[in-house]
Amino acid sequence: MSHPAHVVVAPLLVALLTAVTTLLARSFPRLQRGLSVLGGVGYAAAVAALAAAVTGDADGYIVYALSGWDAPFGIVLVADALSAFFLIIAAIVGVAALVFSVGYLDRETAALSYHSLFHFMLVGVTGALLTGDLFNLFVWFEVMLMASYVLVVYYSGPEHTRAALHYTVLNLLGGAVMLLAVGGLYAVTGTLNMADMAHRLAEGAVDPAPVLGLSALLFTVFALKAGIVPFQFWVPDAYRAAPAPVTAVLAGVVKKVGIYAIVRVYFTVLSAGEVALDLPFVAGDSYLAFFGPVMFAMAVGSILLGGVGAVNQPDMDGLLAYSSIGQIGFIVLPLAVAATAPYGGSLMTFAITAALVYSLNHGLAKGLLFLSSGVTRRAVGSTDFADLGGLSERDPAFAGAFFLGVLALIGIPPLSGFFGKFLVFDTGVRAGSTPVLALALVGAVFTVAYFSRAWNRTFWGDPVEYDPQPRLVAVLAVLAVGLVVVGVGFEPVVAGAEAAAEAAVNRSGYVDAVLEVGA
Amino acid sequence: MTASFVMAAVLGLLYALGTFLLLRRDVVRVVWGITIISQATNTYLVTMGGFAGSVPVLAGHGGHGGGAVQDPLVQALVLTAIVIGFGTTAFALVLTYRVYEEHGTIDLQALGEDGADIDGGEPR
Repeated sequence: MSHPAHVVVAPLLVALLTAVTTLLARSFPRLQRGLSVLGGVGYAAAVAALAAAVTGDADGYIVYALSGWDAPFGIVLVADALSAFFLIIAAIVGVAALVFSVGYLDRETAALSYHSLFHFMLVGVTGALLTGDLFNLFVWFEVMLMASYVLVVYYSGPEHTRAALHYTVLNLLGGAVMLLAVGGLYAVTGTLNMADMAHRLAEGAVDPAPVLGLSALLFTVFALKAGIVPFQFWVPDAYRAAPAPVTAVLAGVVKKVGIYAIVRVYFTVLSAGEVALDLPFVAGDSYLAFFGPVMFAMAVGSILLGGVGAVNQPDMDGLLAYSSIGQIGFIVLPLAVAATAPYGGSLMTFAITAALVYSLNHGLAKGLLFLSSGVTRRAVGSTDFADLGGLSERDPAFAGAFFLGVLALIGIPPLSGFFGKFLVFDTGVRAGSTPVLALALVGAVFTVAYFSRAWNRTFWGDPVEYDPQPRLVAVLAVLAVGLVVVGVGFEPVVAGAEAAAEAAVNRSGYVDAVLEVGA
Repeated sequence: MTASFVMAAVLGLLYALGTFLLLRRDVVRVVWGITIISQATNTYLVTMGGFAGSVPVLAGHGGHGGGAVQDPLVQALVLTAIVIGFGTTAFALVLTYRVYEEHGTIDLQALGEDGADIDGGEPR
C-alpha cells in the first residue's frame, strides 16, 4: 500500500468530519456556519487533489483497500476518471448550495441539524461514487438517502410531511429491492467486489442468465434514484417540498449518482456478461444489448413526460422539477446509444462522453435555476407564476443569472449547454439513428417552450413587489460565470469527460487495477 | 432441499403480506408493510448463503471438528441491513406521527384531498 492512496479517502473524511463537528457545534450557530462553509471548501479542495492525483497516475486508477484488506475480500475504494468527474460536479454544486443556504435559511432552524445533514448527504454521495463494492454501494445510497429524507421534510409543514412520506416510503422500497438484487448477484457470482464480478463474468465461470435478471432488478433502483420515467413520480413533490439549496443538490448531484451507478455497473462491470437473447428490439448477446432498448424507451418517456409536464406547471419549482425529468432523458439517450454500440469502440466512448458533458451542464445549470427559485421565494414570497412578473426591471443581475442558466439548458453557444446538446445530437448522427435525433429535437423544442414561459411569466410583465437579495444573487452570479467559463474553456472539460468515458468502458483496466493491489 | 422450499414459501408469504400492507390506506400499515418487506429481504439474504454447513465461528474450534461452514459474509451483510432498517423504520414512524400532527389524519385518501394546495409554501 503506497501512501498517496490516502488521497482517495480524503473527500470522504473531510465531509464526515465536517458533518460531525457541525453537529457538535450546534449551540454556536456562527461557529457552526463557519465550520460548515470551511468544510465545504475543504471538500472541494480534497476532490481537486483527488482529481489531480488520478490525472497524474500512470494507470489512472487509485485503489484504496479499507483497513488494508485487499480486494476481493475487503472493501475497496476506487478512484478513476469517471468517479473524479462526478465528484467534481458534486463539489461545485455542493459548495454553491452550501454558501447559498447560509444566506437563505432561517439561522435558528438551520442550526439544529441542517449543516450536519447536508454534509452527511455529501458523505453518502462521495462514498457511492468511490466504492468498488456492490453491497457498500447500497450502504452509501442509504447514507445519502437517510440525510435527504430529513432535508426534504425540513420545513415540516403539511405539504412537506406529505411529500417526505412519499419520498421515504418509495426509497425504502427501493432499498429493499436493491438489497434483493445485490444478494441475488452475490449468490450467483459468489462475490460482491465489482472488479471481481466483472472478472468472473468475463471468464464465463458464472451462469449469465440469472445475472441479467438480477441486474435488471438493480437497474430499476438506479432509475428510481435518477428519476427516470417510469420511476419519476416522486420527483415533483419532493423537489417542491425541499428547501431550494437542497433541491439544487438533489437535482444536480443526487440524481447524477444514479446515472454514475448505471454507467459504472452496466458499462464497466456487467458488460462482460453474454447471454443468448431472443427478444424484440434486442440485437446481440451482451447484457448491454438488452439494456440499450430499455434505456431508449425510458429516455423517450422522460423527455416527453418531462416536457409536457413542465409546460403545464403553475409554479417555478414544479416547472424545474419536470424539466429535470426531461433533462435526465437527455442524459439517458446517449447512454442508450452507447449500450448498443460495439464495446469499447469509439461510438460507445463518444456517446458516454456526451452523457457526461450533459450531466455536468445539467448539474450546474439546474443547480443555478433551483437556487434562483429560492431567490424568487425569498424576494417575492412565492414561486407561483400568478404572483410573479417584471423581475427583470427589479433586479437585472438576478434576471441575467437566471437567463444564463436557461440559455445553458436550451443549449446556446458559447455556454456549456451548447456542447452538451451538440454532443447528444452528434451521437445520434454518428449512430445514424433517426429516432434518437427526432427525440432530441422534440426535447429541445419542449425545453425552449417551457423556459420561454417561465421567463415571460417571471421576468416580463407588470413588476411585482421585490425585496432585493444581493448576497443570494452573488452565488447565482458565480454559478452563471461558471457556465460561461465551462463553455468558453471547453477543451479541458471535454478532455476530462473523454478520459472519464474511456475509464467507464475500460473493463480490463479496472479489473487489473483493483485485483492486483497488494498481489 | 426441503429447507430451500420452506424458505421460498416463507419468503413468498412475507412478501405477499408486506405488499398487501403497503397498499393499505392507513400510513401506519404502510410503514408495517415496508418493515415486513425489508425483513423478508434480510431473510432472503441469509438464505443466499446456502443451507449446508454449521455455525461459521464454532466450526473447527473447541472440538467441533472441521466440517463445512455456512457462508459468514451474508450474515455480516444482514447485520448491516438490519441496522439500516432499524434507523429507517424509526424515521418512518416519526414521520408518520408528524404527518398526523400536520394533517390530523393518517388516511392516505384524506391526505391526498388535504393536499389540494400544491404550492411548496416554504415559510418566509
